[in-house]
Amino acid sequence: MTEIASGPSAASPEAGRRPEAIKAVPVRHPWRWLSAVLVLAIAADAVYTLFTAVQNDVTGAGSGWNVVLKYLFQRLILGGVALTLELTVAAMVIGIVLGIVLAVMRLSPNPVTSIVSWLYIWFFRGTPVIVQIFFWFNLNLVLHRIGVGIPATNIEIGASTNTLITPLMAAIVGLGLNEAAYMAEIVRAGIISVEHGQTEAAQALGMTRLQVMQRIVLPQAMRVIIPPTGNETISMLKTTSLAFVATVPELYTRAQQVANFNFAVIELLIVASMWYLFLTSILTFGQYYLERYFARGAQRELPPTPFQRFRQMLFTFHAPPPQVPDVVVAVPHDRRV
Amino acid sequence: MVKAEAVHKSYGRLEVLRGIYLEVSPKEVTCVIGPSGSGKSTFLRCINHLEKIDAGRLWVDGELVGYRQRGDKLYELPDREVCRKRSEIGMVFQRFNLFPHMTALDNIVEAPVHVRRESRGAAEARARKLLDRVGLVDKTNSYPNQLSGGQQQRVAIARALAMQPKLMLFDEPTSALDPELVGEVLDVMRGLAEDGMTMIVVTHEMGFAREVGDTLVFMDYGVIVESGKPRDVLANPKHERTRAFLSKVL
Repeated sequence: MTEIASGPSAASPEAGRRPEAIKAVPVRHPWRWLSAVLVLAIAADAVYTLFTAVQNDVTGAGSGWNVVLKYLFQRLILGGVALTLELTVAAMVIGIVLGIVLAVMRLSPNPVTSIVSWLYIWFFRGTPVIVQIFFWFNLNLVLHRIGVGIPATNIEIGASTNTLITPLMAAIVGLGLNEAAYMAEIVRAGIISVEHGQTEAAQALGMTRLQVMQRIVLPQAMRVIIPPTGNETISMLKTTSLAFVATVPELYTRAQQVANFNFAVIELLIVASMWYLFLTSILTFGQYYLERYFARGAQRELPPTPFQRFRQMLFTFHAPPPQVPDVVVAVPHDRRV
Repeated sequence: MVKAEAVHKSYGRLEVLRGIYLEVSPKEVTCVIGPSGSGKSTFLRCINHLEKIDAGRLWVDGELVGYRQRGDKLYELPDREVCRKRSEIGMVFQRFNLFPHMTALDNIVEAPVHVRRESRGAAEARARKLLDRVGLVDKTNSYPNQLSGGQQQRVAIARALAMQPKLMLFDEPTSALDPELVGEVLDVMRGLAEDGMTMIVVTHEMGFAREVGDTLVFMDYGVIVESGKPRDVLANPKHERTRAFLSKVL
């Protein structure tokens, strides 16, 4: 008997019947298990060593962990956390807004705006943030008054530098203007990543350059812009510790101040680190949902969130295999007659 | 409606258009065929000033494209003017170029609301009618990547029609489609032609050109080699190059 090995023909009684689902013995991965055990052992040892070391660290205030607990929610530290958050948010808002403006300027056909943007990025990326913050903090050494006015008249609106540039303002301006230079390049990368056909289609509809940017290109660029922006925000959270040069007592400075007072250096570093880790975790979480929002239209179905996946795992552990529809041949239902 | 006189266009040292002469009357359907690289798409893009021409003159509806003539001097039009003129010409692309972050409805409503400053309600009402016309009312709230190629192209046509253009440009509208989806797009275009839309269609669909086209233009190497009634050109090409091309594609 010879048979043509091309599956059942349409006439065969088997046609349309679904064969039984495959049940095969999965490939074993002994090395995965072994490496997992090894990693766990090393991690446990490291945690234990650190834990007991801190426990035995005698600072006169009892066990190290008690010190950590005591200061974790202490008023001074909480004040520092608040300031750190304030600095991060304010600096990132300045950075993102100015960054978008700089990126659009950089890509503009107008040579003046493009060169201005290039120079800005060159200067603010090329000098250390700490120097920039320190400069704004000491601005009144070079400028005593800030304001606008008409030369050769008495008409002027302004105030003395010391009233305008408070230490907090100096830190925010320093961090924000520096961040804008980095954000400009991130936004530019996003804009370039959007297919040129999009711009053309929008122009063909009569949209102006600004409308094309605002309505068509930037929303699509967001997908590329958000991950590195999340990166920048998390990095900014920790860079705010440089605000100490402007005497702003944010989290790290506060922890140092307390440590100088009670000599519990390691304990307070742990306190600060725990807060930084906690804030970073929140930001990471927020970034995930922001990315999902801007992914609309880029994927057919959004993948389930970790929570949804977890729920699915819990409730479908012993679920029956998915139902197979009876229809074997699908006819496109939108074909016009 | 469209008049081209000695239109030239180069990219660097590569001459893409080497003197195009063409006239398209209102309500006429002109199909442009030719081998790839012959300058068909470039010419189409010159008509709505997505490309600047280097020499010659190009008019749409009696007005110069991209310039204003005063005496014997040409003045470049400001961006705002160029945009206004583009908004009166619809264009459909080979790769659809729908806005992926908007639903079908939002794609269609976008330009009427933001370019023409129409109220959202009025624009949406018209968008729904257009979706009905291209047979996609049930896809109103779908995103482009949830649609097949043919459906996407029909939305793209509706998007262009939403601006109530006086002229429609089609740049190989069916070339990126699966063969079985070509028909649904051509049907929509045929309907448009019957309603009296002025159309310039760059295409490889000879059947469509024969049935719907009023004029067939054969382009090669940056010039129009031959033009005339589609039946005549397809059946009795006068020029050797036209004959060679048609023998390969028919």
